[in-house]
Amino acid sequence: MKTSLYEKHLALKAKMGPFAGFEMPLQYTSVKDEALAVRNNVGVFDVSHMGEFFVEGKDAYKFVDHIITNDFLSGEKNKAVYSPLCRENGTVIDDLIAYKLGPERVLICVNASNIEKDFSWMQKQLGNYSVDFSNQSDKFSLLALQGPKSEAMLLDLGILKDRNLPYYGVMESEFQNENLIIARTGYTGEDGFEIFCSHKMVNTLWDLFLKNQALPCGLAARDVLRLEVGYPLYGHELNDTITPLDSALKWTVKLEKDNFIGKAALEKYSPKFQLVKLSLDVGIPRENYPVLDSFEKEIGRVTSGTMSVVTGKGIAMALIEKSKMPEKKDFLINIRNKFYKANFHTKPFVSGGHK
Amino acid sequence: MANQIPGNLYYSKEHEWAKIEGTTAIIGISDFAQSSLGDIVFVELPDVGRKLKLEESFGVVESIKSVSDLYSPFSGEVLEVNSDLVNSPEQINTSPYESWMIKMKLSNPKDVDSMMSASDYKNYCESL
Repeated sequence: MKTSLYEKHLALKAKMGPFAGFEMPLQYTSVKDEALAVRNNVGVFDVSHMGEFFVEGKDAYKFVDHIITNDFLSGEKNKAVYSPLCRENGTVIDDLIAYKLGPERVLICVNASNIEKDFSWMQKQLGNYSVDFSNQSDKFSLLALQGPKSEAMLLDLGILKDRNLPYYGVMESEFQNENLIIARTGYTGEDGFEIFCSHKMVNTLWDLFLKNQALPCGLAARDVLRLEVGYPLYGHELNDTITPLDSALKWTVKLEKDNFIGKAALEKYSPKFQLVKLSLDVGIPRENYPVLDSFEKEIGRVTSGTMSVVTGKGIAMALIEKSKMPEKKDFLINIRNKFYKANFHTKPFVSGGHK
Repeated sequence: MANQIPGNLYYSKEHEWAKIEGTTAIIGISDFAQSSLGDIVFVELPDVGRKLKLEESFGVVESIKSVSDLYSPFSGEVLEVNSDLVNSPEQINTSPYESWMIKMKLSNPKDVDSMMSASDYKNYCESL
């Protein structure tokens, strides 16, 4: 499949690659320049491959609160909530952001690779909830404008009308006679916005952003950015066989809230894995490299790894078997059968500047 | 895509270049290779004295997002490695033909016959 901006990506000579059934831009000029543009300035990503579901009706909030592990009810209006979506046994189907657009209207944005799986799962949970539930992924394009200068650009262009839109806030806004959904969310750790719009409007916005010096950024830079700030990616830090409690997402599992899918299993669950952040002084950790304890015994695997463009060091997240967690948090990473000492981090590798 | 191909060098299908001086070869990666890889951030090279077989992996180059093996276009022994590259791998992006990686003593100089000339390599790159 192709997004509405496919031809523009080719014209910019982007390196394209397959992602979740879409031909997506992986990089345009340089991963480093693109990632640094987002950290220091402003960059724009075509993420139209992401899925958009709408839940509308009297029970919209109640339904969403029932299917996700995080608390959807007590948050303010016009705010979004990040949450895992779990099965009854607590394993993770996907992670998503649910946006409160109105008292009876919720937008759920899901990972492109999981659109069909999520939609059919959610449909089966509708039961007696009084809601209309629809998959509108085909109707929406999505741009992420990210970086410290993204707010000023959107205000200047008249796309953002309220500079007080908070982090994780969402609003609908009219631009050139079209309704846009603008949220102060993203996947980079920087201040930034995601704009849901029509396929026609996405071409207008893309051209406007580029004309105003936003750097087009590909999925490679996006992956570096999210890893630098320690955000999980489904298929790497999260998958069908583990729970959010195995992957540092305890903060998104609200066991004190009323019944939700997976609650009973998660209440009793003692995690098998712990997600850790590791860096190397020499070498670059990559997905699936073995992680060893100081006795050189394998205790886990790297789930995502890259060179950080900000720190200039190799960085990784890794799932470690909890029973084998070294007390002193001394780890080695096996790279081509050489063992490199890894530094253990409790904080993100880079502190993003989001609101 | 940038693709400079100096005429005095030989090229492999794996996008290594080689400069032949008698029975010694100096080896690096081509402009096409560096441009395809993107920002090169890490290089691992073999120890001096290592004996390499034809097409054996002798090291890696890594960009931010990828790892690529380096394959020896010849059989022979490693005489010298360019350890400067380990400290500043980005040189490979800016000047691929000055960023030599290893010098080898060829054990079978006939290996050179299976390398491409500059014009053949140009056609090869265009066919990819």
